[in-house]
Amino acid sequence: MKKEEFLTELEDVLQREEPCKETDDLNSYEEWDSLSKMAIMAYYDKNFGIKLTLKELKEVNTVTDLINLAGDKIQ
Amino acid sequence: MIQFSKEQIYIVTGASSGIGEAVAILLNELGATVIAIARNEERLNAMKEKCKYPENVHIEIKDLTEDIDGLPKYVKSLKEKYGKFSGMAYCAGLGELKPFQLVQYESLKNLFDINYFAPIFLIKGFVDRRNNIGNGCSIVAISSISALCSDKGHTSYSASKAALCASAKAIAHEVSSIGIRINCVLPSNIKTPMTAIGGEGYEDSQKSLYPFGFGEPDDVANLVIFLLSNKSKFISGQNYVVDSGGVR
Repeated sequence: MKKEEFLTELEDVLQREEPCKETDDLNSYEEWDSLSKMAIMAYYDKNFGIKLTLKELKEVNTVTDLINLAGDKIQ
Repeated sequence: MIQFSKEQIYIVTGASSGIGEAVAILLNELGATVIAIARNEERLNAMKEKCKYPENVHIEIKDLTEDIDGLPKYVKSLKEKYGKFSGMAYCAGLGELKPFQLVQYESLKNLFDINYFAPIFLIKGFVDRRNNIGNGCSIVAISSISALCSDKGHTSYSASKAALCASAKAIAHEVSSIGIRINCVLPSNIKTPMTAIGGEGYEDSQKSLYPFGFGEPDDVANLVIFLLSNKSKFISGQNYVVDSGGVR
């Protein structure tokens, strides 16, 4: 998946009205809560076959960190 | 005294008759803007004519079972047309009295489409943070007393309404963090076109179960309005039985 496509999808998964940028700090997003983390886990599983853990997501701070968790599935 | 403002926009489904019509009319009377959804344009217009402030009633002709997967997008399109929503009353529904041996997969599926899948996917669209005002939002889904106590001929109907109650409870947990409440109302027999399926003599046959007789749509609408308003801001994830003193 292209990075731009992922950023658009992330906006939808997090139900954000503002676009997501690679450099954004996820902790500054009002929408970045436990439910959104569950949604991200489901999204990664469905789209990339990657089973994320809450522990892994706890260490995520920026959108770039999130992209890195997908390895080469996001380019 | 419960009051709404016209800036508060509420979706009411099944608004052309029965409980949905009563909820739409009462919400409008108390000042809210109503997006009235149903299949029948003629009956929706007749409902609008009964409203105190018809200029605050917007009619949307829609068969909710047509594209259930697309319902979240439909809610988004309504938001773009009218603005962010303060609440929703899901009153569309279908009744069925059928002995178990006559239940078929197709009819069971059709019943679940309107009584369970359509509300679930409409709620899915509603609770998207981009479509509602957040804090103070309230959703009410009309379930049925059948969800709690089934009777002969209710295999499909009871299941569809019980499923709605069960999911509403789970959703209530998920959406509380964004300030949204969701409750179910479980009426017993109310005099609506839907309950007319029992035919002549049905009300008399049910007298021992429902001492106050069959209810009027307003008997349910009053509770729905309370649950939609901020007077009930402490209540979420609950099932409210309105059963004519049947005390089940």
